[in-house]
Amino acid sequence: MKLLGLMKKEFHRFFHDPRLVISMLLPGVFIFVLYTFMGSVLHSEEARELRVYRAGESVCTTVIEQVIAENGDKIEWLLLENEEEARAEVEEGTATAILKFTENFDSSLGNGAGVNIIYDSASEDGSYFYAIATSVFHKVGMLFDVTAETVKDSSQMGVDLMTGLLPFVFVCFVFTACMSVTLESVAGEKERGTLATVLVTSAKRSDVALGKVLALSCISMIGALSSFLGLAGSMPKLMGFSLEFLGGYSAWSYLLLLPPILCAVPLIVAAIATVSTLSRSVKEASAYTSVFMVVMMVVSLVTAFVPHIGDWVVAIPVLNAIVGMQGILAGELPVWQCLVGAGLNVLYTAVLVLLIAKMLTSERIMFGR
Amino acid sequence: MEEVIVRAEELCKTFPLSRKQRRLEKTTAKKKVAVDGLSFTAKRGEIYGLLGPNGAGKTTTLRMLSTLLEPDSGDATVLGHSIRKEKAAVRDCLGFMTSELKLEKFFTPDYLFDFFGTMHGMEKDRIAERKRELFSRFGVNSFAGVKVGDLSTGMLQKVSLVIAIVHDPDVVVFDEPTNGLDVLTARVVTDFLEELRAMGKSIILSTHIFSLVEKLCDRVGIIIDGRMAAEGALGELCGELSLEERFFKIYRDLKGDIL
Ligand SMILES: Nc1ncnc2c1ncn2[C@@H]1O[C@H](COP(=O)(O)OP(=O)(O)OP(=O)(O)O)[C@@H](O)[C@H]1O
Ligand SMILES: [Mg+2]
Repeated sequence: MKLLGLMKKEFHRFFHDPRLVISMLLPGVFIFVLYTFMGSVLHSEEARELRVYRAGESVCTTVIEQVIAENGDKIEWLLLENEEEARAEVEEGTATAILKFTENFDSSLGNGAGVNIIYDSASEDGSYFYAIATSVFHKVGMLFDVTAETVKDSSQMGVDLMTGLLPFVFVCFVFTACMSVTLESVAGEKERGTLATVLVTSAKRSDVALGKVLALSCISMIGALSSFLGLAGSMPKLMGFSLEFLGGYSAWSYLLLLPPILCAVPLIVAAIATVSTLSRSVKEASAYTSVFMVVMMVVSLVTAFVPHIGDWVVAIPVLNAIVGMQGILAGELPVWQCLVGAGLNVLYTAVLVLLIAKMLTSERIMFGR
Repeated sequence: MEEVIVRAEELCKTFPLSRKQRRLEKTTAKKKVAVDGLSFTAKRGEIYGLLGPNGAGKTTTLRMLSTLLEPDSGDATVLGHSIRKEKAAVRDCLGFMTSELKLEKFFTPDYLFDFFGTMHGMEKDRIAERKRELFSRFGVNSFAGVKVGDLSTGMLQKVSLVIAIVHDPDVVVFDEPTNGLDVLTARVVTDFLEELRAMGKSIILSTHIFSLVEKLCDRVGIIIDGRMAAEGALGELCGELSLEERFFKIYRDLKGDIL
């Protein structure tokens, strides 16, 4: 009962203040507008005309054609005769890519079939073709190896916008959402002396801590959901093409990204709440939290550049969510990884809640000078 | 009427001083003894006053009684519940009022009353009944739906008082009841305390204002440097002298001269 009462109070506070609700929803709208705008500046409206050298046959090629046509572009297949010359053309930019299927590709699926894409990741048409081709292959079910080479050396290779950067951007927005509500509710209440008023009642400290973390997590998830919708909605525009035809990376399939990040929200909230309980003022708490955020950003940016980081990463809070999302975007479904990561996040959250409860009983932290 | 409700025995509290505090207080001591073996009793239906100068340890004592601070040694019981071992039980039979405990500006008195009732584990019906009674008795009804942030100081004071006794505690602890209040609001508070006494509650208040003690208190304990310098019923303690004269006599006997 008391726990419920404590949570209800947080919800009441939030939902009865339009300013808070708007400030929680605004980032999503902002992302959508900004990215859609960026997309329309980055990508010309002109139809692309792709020239791709091909060796071997597969039904996949017709699907690729269809997706490209869906996007209002054209593709011309060229027969691959001299790979050296074709590579030189790709390098120059006169051809888009080279696509090499193994012999009897369609009939040997799951049995040694493979495909190799050679493209220039620095060219827009090149990465466009690469993104579409790989999603088509993923769609077919990965019964074969896909290898990719870029014609320029790898130092020039940009980070894959989709799998690398997107989770990072997303986590940043989610973190900001958690930060705004948690700082205000925990550090703010402590600073204003309203937290102590609850502490003279017989409400358990653990209920006070848990009530805050649970309620604030729910509220932050609204923010996360808003930025998610903004991001998912603007992604086709930002990337300059849509894969909706495939049912591939359509706005809906981004939904898979939600579970990992939503599992990370309570942990982020609990971490900020811990710091807030320790601090004397909102100012102090937000200073510490920004340090947090910078560390998190740096670490997660690193994972965007390091492709196969190893399984130990699931043990690291927040990072596990980022890596999980990267995996999902790359077309794998790292189920056990995500589950272990989510489980560990819940565990960490529980530990932090206990820690907060402990700190609420500490007179030094609550009433020290 | 002689039933002892609150009994404090040899309460001691020492605070570690940070370097900054040491500089502020111009001392090299690493610790500050705030309360030093304080004992007293408060009985049912009386107002007990803790009178002392700044820094005497009044606030610290009251915070220990209301379980916000834990004594280093000694103990106190509220209706037989130890403030060290039965914190939750103490919190449910004691109301603590101080200007340091604030109400969230955003909520209405109505909402907060329900909320704090729930926090004390009260049933819905009981909260509603108590709200009807207290709100009309102390005139809160007319602004029960106005956000706390929009209330005048007088109204806010009434709301804080009413909410502090939502759970119908037998003991009310009040730190500096009239500090910083204008004459009208101060009057609201003193009337409120007299009314509580009439209801049979025990009230422990702290103050450094002689006239407040003379006006309200049945018994008084004079605290100087965390120790009980004198204690007794107001009449007994003062005899012929006024409370102020009596206080300074005790103070001079103890500390030599003022300042
Ligand atoms: N959290 C704390 N840390 C360090 N010292 C403290 C702390 N709280 C109180 N003190 C010190 O303990 C002594 C007693 O303080 P207390 O607040 O109990 O006095 P008081 O009688 O309420 O005085 P006042 O009339 O100023 O309110 C003071 O010297 C004060 O500086
Ligand atoms: Mg004081």
